[in-house]
Amino acid sequence: MHNRLLPTLLIITLLAMVAGFTYVHWSKSGPGAGLYSRDWLPDPVQGYWDPNNFYRSSDSVQGVFEGKQCVQCHEEITPGIVADWRASRHAQGDEKVFCNDCHGGDHQRLHLPTPEVCGSCHNKQQNESEDEARYGFPSHILAMERAVDAPHFADKPKAEVQSCVQCHSVATKCDSCHTRHRFDAAESRRPEACITCHSGPPHPDDTTYFASAHGQIYLAEGKDWDWSKPLTKGNYKAPTCAYCHMDAGRHQVAHKSMWKFGLREINPHTSNNQILRRRWIELCSDCHAEKEAAQWLGELDRERKQAWSMLYMAEAVLKNLRSDQLLQPSAAERPPYPMGSLWPMERIGFYEGQASAFYNVSGIERDYFEMWYFDNLGAYKSAAHGDSAGVKEGHQKMATSLEHIQTKAHKLRQRAATEQETEITPAAPSIWNSGAYTDYNREHN
Amino acid sequence: MRAIPQQRLTGILLALLCMTTPLVPADTSTPPGPFTDTECISCHTERDPDLIKQWRRGPHAAASKVVCSSCHGVQHAGANQKARQDQGCTGCHAGPASHSYSTSKHGVINRIAEGRQDWNQPLQRGNYRAPGCSYCHLHNGNHGDSMAPNHGPELRQWICSGCHSPRYVQAQLGNGKRQLEIADLKLTEGKKLIATAGASKDNALLKLQQSLAHHRKNILYGVGHQSPDYQWWHGQPALDGDLIRIREAIGKPHPESPLHTSPPGDSKLNR
Repeated sequence: MHNRLLPTLLIITLLAMVAGFTYVHWSKSGPGAGLYSRDWLPDPVQGYWDPNNFYRSSDSVQGVFEGKQCVQCHEEITPGIVADWRASRHAQGDEKVFCNDCHGGDHQRLHLPTPEVCGSCHNKQQNESEDEARYGFPSHILAMERAVDAPHFADKPKAEVQSCVQCHSVATKCDSCHTRHRFDAAESRRPEACITCHSGPPHPDDTTYFASAHGQIYLAEGKDWDWSKPLTKGNYKAPTCAYCHMDAGRHQVAHKSMWKFGLREINPHTSNNQILRRRWIELCSDCHAEKEAAQWLGELDRERKQAWSMLYMAEAVLKNLRSDQLLQPSAAERPPYPMGSLWPMERIGFYEGQASAFYNVSGIERDYFEMWYFDNLGAYKSAAHGDSAGVKEGHQKMATSLEHIQTKAHKLRQRAATEQETEITPAAPSIWNSGAYTDYNREHN
Repeated sequence: MRAIPQQRLTGILLALLCMTTPLVPADTSTPPGPFTDTECISCHTERDPDLIKQWRRGPHAAASKVVCSSCHGVQHAGANQKARQDQGCTGCHAGPASHSYSTSKHGVINRIAEGRQDWNQPLQRGNYRAPGCSYCHLHNGNHGDSMAPNHGPELRQWICSGCHSPRYVQAQLGNGKRQLEIADLKLTEGKKLIATAGASKDNALLKLQQSLAHHRKNILYGVGHQSPDYQWWHGQPALDGDLIRIREAIGKPHPESPLHTSPPGDSKLNR
């Protein structure tokens, strides 16, 4: 009997694996990109954010051109970028890097430079950047994949979610940090180079850093520092984003990242995280005593633990409401977005994919989303960047949100009890199912 | 009218100078200031009538009390350089208007390159590493806001394509328009829902109505200033949140609603 069972199981497993790979391959072969590629068509502007998948060259100009010809013509057409290029390192010396070296020379087959194109010269940086993939999400290199594989990206009108891929294009282009056509390393070392994307409610890296002692020194004196110097010990009076996260110019930004953006709870003391902690301590000890650095990491651990204890309390409130079918309207009574599962389900917390469930949900679910995504992440960024006032504010906001969620849950239960007593059902939840945008989204997702 | 005797004195000095150096141009006689706004306007109405006309018709016209000296200061020396820099605008245009720009790539580059930028250059294509407030809104010295909708998309297209390809600009402007259309759908949805509440509109709903308008404006700043953060986190998902809260507020049993007042057995609501 055993003799037959084992090979049968093996064959079934193999077949399931083949079927799985075939399904993923099929699902990725649609007109869009990623796991839901068969469900959407790109907005016309997406080619500029994800050139490998969507950029199509214009056929307005015919001919194959040499670099000097490109410059001559574009001096008139787009003088700004030619001036930029002339001031860049690419235009210096005898071996200049001309337009056609990165864009191609055939004007009807031009391409936007992808990391592979830049990597043909800057291969160390490209390799480092690609190496980041082994750390998983969140990371720069997997950012575009992460964006298009999010159910809300597949669901929402494509013009709307173009705002997502502008920042997530850090995976598909180098000019998020090295702005074209100057590509100045000194410029990308400045904290401002990061803040276009690292700002706003879920990741206030800008405000929390600028409010810290490090950021205050930078704001007061940074404009006079020599930014041509590499990001190594002794070159900068205070650390900047790049000094800590890309020390020595390493383009593998997840090298020390441990807390996963504050999106989910992690155990900071696993053997692997001990290595990452060691890396942080080594970096901080460029200026501070090791003991002090270890102490700060401990403070961050405690801050996270406290934050998660509050978040779990709120999650429990919501999950209990769900078990008692008190989340109204229920998933079955809402528009079918965001999609992502075969059966309608209220998704609560990181592991159930609540990151996509911030619209078409009940009020209390949105309350928890904001507590988790805005209050908590604000507190985490403040703690990690040394903005103590921000930590206090974030935790106060979380406490208020938790109380609000608990009160609301209590009222929902009371209301349900009244309804049962009086045998009255509330008005039909039809208001949740239609409207100018909701209807448009149903047709244009 | 303090400037007149100074002007005379400079004239005499210049006449003396001209005897020895006959090629000095006559208009270097411009006195240094300080000037009152009336003086600026009276002189520049003669010299640059178009500019004054643009200012009078534009958003900074007399009614808004933004006069020459508000941006240029009162001295001639450095008056243009002063007005071309972002700091000249951000004092009044604080909050989302300037934050959406200062965190955009244009704003970031402008801030970093500030020190090495030659602010004497006219606000024309090729002269600036990145556009500051003035480069787009007062392009080529246009004092009537060159980005205002009444100028049509052609002028905007021309300004952006000093650095970007015309096709790129079209694609970006087109996407911006679509993003705003989507925001408008959300506004329509929200306002219609609020209208169903009829006379029982409470403060919470009125606040949510304001919130819709506020978040829609953030998207306008986001697409205008190319700030992904204002398009997204301060914009679209914030509008989604408003819609949830509006529905929640309407769905709540009102003190006078049937849930509280009708006896069991009400024909419509009974199970």
